[in-house]
Amino acid sequence: MTFKKKRANSKQEIPTASMPDIIFMLLLFFMVATTLREIDVYVKFKLPEAVAIQKIENKRLISYIWVGKSGKIQLNDNIVKVEDIQEIMYQKRVELPNVIVSLRIDKESDMGIVHDIQQALRKADARRINYSSMLKQ
Amino acid sequence: MVQIKKKKEIDASIPSAGMSDIVFLLLLFFLVSTTIDVDTGIGLFLPEYVPPEEQEFVPLSKDRLAALNINENGDVLLDGEIIAIPQISETLKPRIESKINLPSKRKLVVSVKTDRRTNYNLYIQALDQIKFSYAEVQEAYSQQTYGKKLADLTPEESKIVTREKIPIIISIAEPEQIN
Repeated sequence: MTFKKKRANSKQEIPTASMPDIIFMLLLFFMVATTLREIDVYVKFKLPEAVAIQKIENKRLISYIWVGKSGKIQLNDNIVKVEDIQEIMYQKRVELPNVIVSLRIDKESDMGIVHDIQQALRKADARRINYSSMLKQ
Repeated sequence: MVQIKKKKEIDASIPSAGMSDIVFLLLLFFLVSTTIDVDTGIGLFLPEYVPPEEQEFVPLSKDRLAALNINENGDVLLDGEIIAIPQISETLKPRIESKINLPSKRKLVVSVKTDRRTNYNLYIQALDQIKFSYAEVQEAYSQQTYGKKLADLTPEESKIVTREKIPIIISIAEPEQIN
């Protein structure tokens, strides 16, 4: 007498028909979460370190200003002079009223240049700023 | 008699087996190009710009003001006394705590003044210390009053703590002109 293995009669495959749907959902999530425009940075900088730092959740509100080791200032895409910051930031502020200006300033910089930028930002009324810094380990 | 063969029916559906592969590729592309990292830093609100001729002098009582000066050599003065940067938060904490229950017009104002040639890193370290002392006082107050961490408070409660009781008032003074 041969033993017959007991097996359920139902199909034994995992249904894969809806797999593309699941992956589409993942895809949509990443498409929405991605901010594609990455800015090329032309200046060399090293951020200072701090402990009491906050995160900025909304990346779309941020406008960046870099100040490099050589004292060059980059605003979003191009190198600018201090005098031009006010005009550009004013335009930006009109487009985006609650813009946050993230200052990525090299830690060896002098306060003079920082102050000049701050003064320009105050005149342009883009007053919400962020001193970008790394978490101290 | 020759039987006419029925033409074979052509399968009219689009093969969908490769679809998931295509979607996977798209998914991989977005996975790779997504930048999850968020910008971190010390947030600050700059004061409104007032032209020099319209500036008014507002008297500030001495016990409200904590004046922090950093000169170009990296010396730090708090209310006229030399202090090391890591000690700033410990020195400020009792002063912030003593003013929790005072009305908003009598809260502590921390004024940071730098020279034009002060190192930026020093300025950030000092600012960090100030922010840190405020954060500690806020955290302690929230634990004491609500028994919760600051991050777990409801928006109304956290508004009371961070706006009414312990508002962070930092004034960035303008550097003195060097002639």
